[in-house]
Amino acid sequence: MIKPTCEDTFLLKKRNLKNNYYSFTFKPYAPVKKCKPGHFLQLQLPNSDVYFRRPFSIASVDNDGSIEIIFKIFGEGTALLAQLEKGDKVNLLGPLGVPFKFPKKNEQTIIIAGGVGFPPLMYLAVEMIAKGYDPKSIHFFYGGRTTDDIIEKPRLKKLGVNFYPVTEDGSFGAKGLVTKPVEEFIKSSNAKMRIFSCGPTGMLKAADAIGLKYNIPGQLSLEAPMPCGFGICLGCVKEKTDGTHARVCCDGPVFEIGEIVL
Amino acid sequence: MKPDLKVKIAGVEFANPLMTASGCCGYGEELAEIFPLSKLGALVSKSITLNPRLGHPPPRTAETTSGMLNAIGLANVGIDKFVEDKVPFLKKQKTKIIVNVAGSKLEEYVEVCSRLNDIECVDMIELNISCPNVDEGGMEFGADPTMTEKSLKAVKKVFNRPIIAKLSPNVTSIVQIAKAAEQGGADAFSVINTLLGMVVDAETWHTKITNNKGGLSGPAIKPVALQMVHAVYSNSSLPIIGIGGIRSTADVIEFLLCGATAVQIGTGLFIDPMLIVKIEKELTQYMKRKKCNSIYDLIGKVRKY
Repeated sequence: MIKPTCEDTFLLKKRNLKNNYYSFTFKPYAPVKKCKPGHFLQLQLPNSDVYFRRPFSIASVDNDGSIEIIFKIFGEGTALLAQLEKGDKVNLLGPLGVPFKFPKKNEQTIIIAGGVGFPPLMYLAVEMIAKGYDPKSIHFFYGGRTTDDIIEKPRLKKLGVNFYPVTEDGSFGAKGLVTKPVEEFIKSSNAKMRIFSCGPTGMLKAADAIGLKYNIPGQLSLEAPMPCGFGICLGCVKEKTDGTHARVCCDGPVFEIGEIVL
Repeated sequence: MKPDLKVKIAGVEFANPLMTASGCCGYGEELAEIFPLSKLGALVSKSITLNPRLGHPPPRTAETTSGMLNAIGLANVGIDKFVEDKVPFLKKQKTKIIVNVAGSKLEEYVEVCSRLNDIECVDMIELNISCPNVDEGGMEFGADPTMTEKSLKAVKKVFNRPIIAKLSPNVTSIVQIAKAAEQGGADAFSVINTLLGMVVDAETWHTKITNNKGGLSGPAIKPVALQMVHAVYSNSSLPIIGIGGIRSTADVIEFLLCGATAVQIGTGLFIDPMLIVKIEKELTQYMKRKKCNSIYDLIGKVRKY
């Protein structure tokens, strides 16, 4: 575990991406240099009745000391968060958790993102390209219910990765569930591959099954309500396939395919 | 002059009155990554049972208004692994070590306490006779005065250092249980464990944790805890460790005023892992401002109408 830092920071930039999706950039955040794709932050809302911190995966960092999260209004915590304005103070604890392991250079990267599972995977793609991976070796499958759930399209396109948008209602990209074109792609190729996925449980379950079926290694980033976020409360555990429990916050949130009972 | 934060409980001296609460810091390893444990008056371990326990299936915590409900179910590594894997780490820490012990049968409590008697770095045992989250044992022992006295008597025979009885608020009279524990040979009290509660989702009609009921902690329970600390203080001369919803220096002072000699902080650490370090600093400033030279200038000094 990296020693997390607990510090106050300020909302530098607030963007309403689409309907209920927001991008928040905070600055200053001294630990940016320690952050890796897959890490998350525990954010404390100032002066609110919401008691726990709220975990958010990191969407991007900048060496100037700023850090971005992307979220969708889902419950009480995110609704309050969305009301913050530029200059408002929040307290961040992080970076927390186990980050993604980068693929081997000869592997094709299969990214399966669903809804708000998108941010850590975009961060992964950005860092991979910065480290010299060929953008064309990254296959970014991105699923949502409707076109409104596919956010930051220009940003993804700019990366030059292979982009495969999928919506359940067909309002953008292919129609159906994201895991279907993933499976078709895998079947059509003989290349070595590695899967990275983050999104709703149903999608993770399908990604896990695909990995196991085609014997493709990979990692899944899980989500769970977390009272603490750094391993002391044992509140966020998930059942492992070996029958033991894993703490999502510090044994994860990134787990190997086949490791967790989904 | 710098105020003296030291307190003494049953002959054991603590650098300050601030301890972690059992079940809220594991065995200290994660917290030690964040601040040196020497900042603590004492580290109180997660409940240790004779055999390892996986605990309840998830979800096992739920957020509530100003607090949380948990039914972890005494997940722990068991005494063998605790001695093998955790004690070497604890031995190196420059703080007092209190091991919390739980069980489903009296013989289990006795066995674990007897094993801990041989571990030198264990300064005290805190006897968990108040866990609301297990079907057998736990609260059963601490809800009945006869069982409470019997349990204390049995473990006192096998552990030669002080034993703290951790009391449940889920009883008709906490004073009656405290007196029974004192009769059984308890050296101090921890007041209080969590309050039994339930959380329900109005949309899905479902309870929010798999155990359905659980222990309520956090700021929501502080007034209950303060009253119980004061009630026990007024009826027993044994030292008290106050627990329940502490999240600020003022909260600590309130517990001391009601009669606690020390306090434990649990749920508050989840929100702010640096809370104890912060409070230690502020406590000194507060004491200077109030012209208190020692923690003992505060203990039990609540002014009543």
